[in-house]
Amino acid sequence: MLGSADFDEQDVVVADFEAGVGTLTRLGEEHVDTVVIVAEATPKSLEVGARAAFLADQKAVGRIVVVANRIRGPEDLERVRAAFPPGTEVVGVPHDPKIVEADRKGVAPIDLDPDAPAVKALIALAATLLPHSN
Amino acid sequence: MKLAVVGKGGSGKTTTSSVIARTLAKGGLAVVALDCDSNPNLGISLGVGDEETERLVSMRQALDEGEEAHAPTWDTLISRYGSDGPDGVRLAVVSRIDNPEPG
Repeated sequence: MLGSADFDEQDVVVADFEAGVGTLTRLGEEHVDTVVIVAEATPKSLEVGARAAFLADQKAVGRIVVVANRIRGPEDLERVRAAFPPGTEVVGVPHDPKIVEADRKGVAPIDLDPDAPAVKALIALAATLLPHSN
Repeated sequence: MKLAVVGKGGSGKTTTSSVIARTLAKGGLAVVALDCDSNPNLGISLGVGDEETERLVSMRQALDEGEEAHAPTWDTLISRYGSDGPDGVRLAVVSRIDNPEPG
């Protein structure tokens, strides 16, 4: 589907893939420029994340960025870094009660509090994803 | 630019996708957000609202249940089965719905 898309009118497509690596496994003709792997500092999350990184690398995806999510301290960030090949771009996003609150209220985190630490970290990441910065 | 957000379920893909989509749109880019999850709720994180998110899910279900003769083309998906969200983000639900109840 992504491969057949006509992107003249859309500058960016952000695809929130199915949980797990199924879609990534099946990626063929559809070329993805950037894969953002979201992983928490837990063995299960990192196992899926590491598999996703391996697949993305195999599929010659342009850029791979890992979001180390719900980070509570430096050990969490290190645990996430250690699960990926050296040199992998890893961005830490802190555990943030505002995200929890946004989820509870069913509102966009960026609307609830654009200055919340996790939101700011993701906004900063988005700025590095701009097409012209590739 | 095509960007895919992947990870274990519950890791924060949807929140991450939503902030990235809204931020790039605020910066002036035309952004399409695709919800590929079998329990789609990207709309809620984008700020589209739960009613509209549910409407999109229902439309997608109708599509999957064969009310359309053919699978939609990209353009149809975006224009007919999509919704305009805040900052002009265009949201489309692309998954086959596995679970009709919101996750």
